Amino acid sequence: MSTHPTLSQLDRYATGAPALDEPSVWAIEVHLEDCADCRARLAGSTTGDSRAVIERVAMNLAREIAASPAPDARTRPWSVLRHRWLVGTLSPWLAMTVAVLACAALLSGMRTGLPSLVLLIAPLAPLPGVAVAWHRRADPAWELVAATPAAGLTTLLRRTAAVLAFVIPALALVGAGTGVSLALTLLPCLAFTVATLLLGTLVGVHRAAIGLILTWVFVVVAPSLATARIPMFLQPESAGIWALTTVVLTVTAIFRVNGFRRLSRHG
Amino acid sequence: MMRALSTAETAPTTHPWVIHAQGLQVRAGRHLAVNGLDLTLNTGVHGLLGPNGAGKTTLMRALATVVAPSGGRLTLLGQSVDGRADLRPVRRALGYLPQHFGFYPRFTVREFVAYMAWLKEMPKARIPAAVQRSIDRVGLTAKADARLKTLSGGMLRRAGIAQAIVNDPQVLLLDEPTVGLDPEQRLDFRELLRDLGTDSCVLVSTHLVEDVAAACTDVVLVNEGRLVWQGTTEVLIAQGDQSHAGDSAAERGYSAILRRHRAEAAR
Amino acid sequence: MDAADEGELVRRIARQDRRAFDELYRRTAPWLEVRLRRRCADADLVAEVLQDTYLTVWRAAGSFAGTRNGGARGSAVGWLWTIAAHHLVDAFRRRARRAQRPQVPLMPATAPAAEDEVMAARIGQELEQALLTLPVEVRAALRATVLDGLSSREASVLLGVPENTVKSRVRRARIALREALS
Repeated sequence: MSTHPTLSQLDRYATGAPALDEPSVWAIEVHLEDCADCRARLAGSTTGDSRAVIERVAMNLAREIAASPAPDARTRPWSVLRHRWLVGTLSPWLAMTVAVLACAALLSGMRTGLPSLVLLIAPLAPLPGVAVAWHRRADPAWELVAATPAAGLTTLLRRTAAVLAFVIPALALVGAGTGVSLALTLLPCLAFTVATLLLGTLVGVHRAAIGLILTWVFVVVAPSLATARIPMFLQPESAGIWALTTVVLTVTAIFRVNGFRRLSRHG
Repeated sequence: MMRALSTAETAPTTHPWVIHAQGLQVRAGRHLAVNGLDLTLNTGVHGLLGPNGAGKTTLMRALATVVAPSGGRLTLLGQSVDGRADLRPVRRALGYLPQHFGFYPRFTVREFVAYMAWLKEMPKARIPAAVQRSIDRVGLTAKADARLKTLSGGMLRRAGIAQAIVNDPQVLLLDEPTVGLDPEQRLDFRELLRDLGTDSCVLVSTHLVEDVAAACTDVVLVNEGRLVWQGTTEVLIAQGDQSHAGDSAAERGYSAILRRHRAEAAR
Repeated sequence: MDAADEGELVRRIARQDRRAFDELYRRTAPWLEVRLRRRCADADLVAEVLQDTYLTVWRAAGSFAGTRNGGARGSAVGWLWTIAAHHLVDAFRRRARRAQRPQVPLMPATAPAAEDEVMAARIGQELEQALLTLPVEVRAALRATVLDGLSSREASVLLGVPENTVKSRVRRARIALREALS
């Protein structure tokens, strides 16, 4: 903290006479912001005019405060967090994801003859949420948000992160409950999320997600259910390949960051 | 507390116009709603007038960077927004009230405006006071902590204006801001508009010619996606005489210009 | 109440404690009034800004106390000044619209006197040198932006000159500062 101004300096600062030089004024103003004692000393130096203004304003304030309803501006941290990351629009999709996962877990538990449904649908779990993360019809305030700097990429990534933060624990829980390999549920899930974003730079995230879901269902899920066998690339030894795929996709996505900029235009 | 100034902050402003459109084309669906529009605007309050279907709302959406132009050039604050440029710097200086906007019904007015301030990437420490200030400026002080779903149409409109002005935008776009306001509120709003116009470029789209005559320094008249006329409010008023349709001098001026334009177009 | 610092008072105001509000006003209003008055001669306008500032404090304390630094010691006074500075600019906007510009300089700082009371190590020697030699209008631009924390656009409203003029004056001050350093 800088040295305290003398009382006569404070006097001159408060009354303007005799005038102080500019550096002293700066020094006093910087100091007063940090020093409660000098603010109190300054109060004793103020002119009659100043005191009259302060009193008048005090009365006006009392009247204004009495006249208007008490503010209730207490921040609710949870509510702020929820608004910023989810904005309520994702909750139906997340609820649906959990419901589907729970059903899959139940079915896997009941009919051991079938391949693990949890394993088969794990890669798709985050996609509905990602698909609506930045979509005109999914967000009521889309038109407002679209004109802000956070529109497009920032909002998409933020909400995708929120979806993953929700889906990954859910998957881990369901996976652990049904005894499926953790790596084989989580790694494909991440790989598919990144693939959606990457494909999204070309055709829009919404279409990318739908395309990937349909492809996976017809190419992998349906045949596995028909033949009652888990395909090779979902066997435990493929975990390394999934890890590699995830890393490669992520690196590609980072290099395509400029492509993502265009997302701000996609509804 | 002394603040450090960045070089960027003190770099001179070189763009001659805040809003500059040349041969601008914007699609609304398949139809070219804005078709070859030339427009230059600077600081002040500008009224955007035109018959229904003239392309006012589409123009506003393009200026708000919500839709990309399909042809021509558009620069805001000296930065081109028609290419693939990073829109974030421009969007930080933008305020936009859409004609219709969805919102999150469970937000309070304060939470809603604060959320928009956060999306506009305002410094976090400045948000609480800036939110309060903009709520006070639109006269919603008593309703600051009411949920949006409990507000009347006029109050919602004012909450929308509050979010538009919270970041002290250099470019402020208001699409039909006076819808739902009672006469007294409209008078207050005109005062606010004039304040905002001292150091921002404000474009107000409206079908109420009196609002323009009372609060705007100049008038932009569009028809069928093109600029028809641009000039001061006084000159607009001087265009009409008793032979033209309208209840006020400004309305008569408006219909005189429009009629003349249509006659020329028909030739 | 006496022992509480300003940050604590703001936290109490957030819980709608009127006594804490009165205490904050008693402690900080004289300082704020003098600082505003040094920027604006019009007592009515100062009163208006003072009132708007404390009303904002009363109404927004809740959300301010919730921000990361909101409850921190020392930040409350800086917050008060930021609010006041912005309200001052707003008041100038209103006056500018009514084409009655408030007179700005009431207490102009004088040229250097053979100062008897020298405050040692106050704001940095080079800044001090620059402040002593720069023309009045350049100092005013520097004060509005650096000391008062306003943007060049807000400073232009306060000083009644175009934004680019503010910017060029601040650039001039920077150059002078650099020379003072070398």
